[in-house]
Amino acid sequence: MRGSTWPGGWDPFEELQREMGRLFQSFDPFPSPRHVRLFPPINLYVAGDEYVLSAQLPGMAPEEVELTVTHETLTLRGERKRTEGVKDDAYRRQERVMGRWSRTINLPDRIDESRVTAHFANGVLTARLPRAESAKPRHIIVSSSS
Amino acid sequence: MSDDHPSIRVSVGASGGRGGEPNRPIEPDLATTPAFAPPIDIHDGPEGLTLEADLPGATEETLLVQLEDNVLSLRARIDSPAPEGARLIHQEYHVGDHQRSFILSDEVDRDRITAELKNGVLKVFLPRADRAKARRIEIKS
Repeated sequence: MRGSTWPGGWDPFEELQREMGRLFQSFDPFPSPRHVRLFPPINLYVAGDEYVLSAQLPGMAPEEVELTVTHETLTLRGERKRTEGVKDDAYRRQERVMGRWSRTINLPDRIDESRVTAHFANGVLTARLPRAESAKPRHIIVSSSS
Repeated sequence: MSDDHPSIRVSVGASGGRGGEPNRPIEPDLATTPAFAPPIDIHDGPEGLTLEADLPGATEETLLVQLEDNVLSLRARIDSPAPEGARLIHQEYHVGDHQRSFILSDEVDRDRITAELKNGVLKVFLPRADRAKARRIEIKS
């Protein structure tokens, strides 16, 4: 944590930097890709013969998340709604990403769509994506014509 | 010092908190556990303020909401979602605890703060103190 020694893991300088970053970001008419906050953020792991995808989707219910897998392409789609009955001018702070969202990622290999499983708990989606048989390396026997 | 405003632990969730201590302490080993500030919304209502924080992965057992003096702090311990032996090949978020603190004004009625956690979103209701009642001063004859 950058050698921070503040109690409680709090680093006032990091907080300041973040706030400044947010301030300047709001003036930037052409945000660079680095500034664009992706929603949902996705981590991808390899575990044996399968890929494991983990996406942070706080506030979503399982039935509100649409997950599709075709060959090696995975798409996640949904809409995150603001709390009902709260007017825009009632907000004192708005940092959470809201509205329609969709993410498409290409996996390194073909996926066996029929064996994909997904689990949603506490705002985290975990999908297990087994590699298709055809994507696994095969030994091909080389025969001579003699 | 803290006699006036003793530390209050707010139990989270509809069940009002479960009995028994969590298996592992929420108070982290600061040397090894990275923590990140979650994004929040705060909105005003007729009864008080509502704070909503995105805490994906947090459960009632791993989340601690604490009020000490006038500082409200959230800390959620997050375990890696990856299975054992998995190798990370693409990363868009850091796996770590969620932590953030807020300074409350005197307008908040500390004794009536409530919190609930659903689908990784924490909602903390900070009721406005009844100032009309607080201002009434009894005059002795």
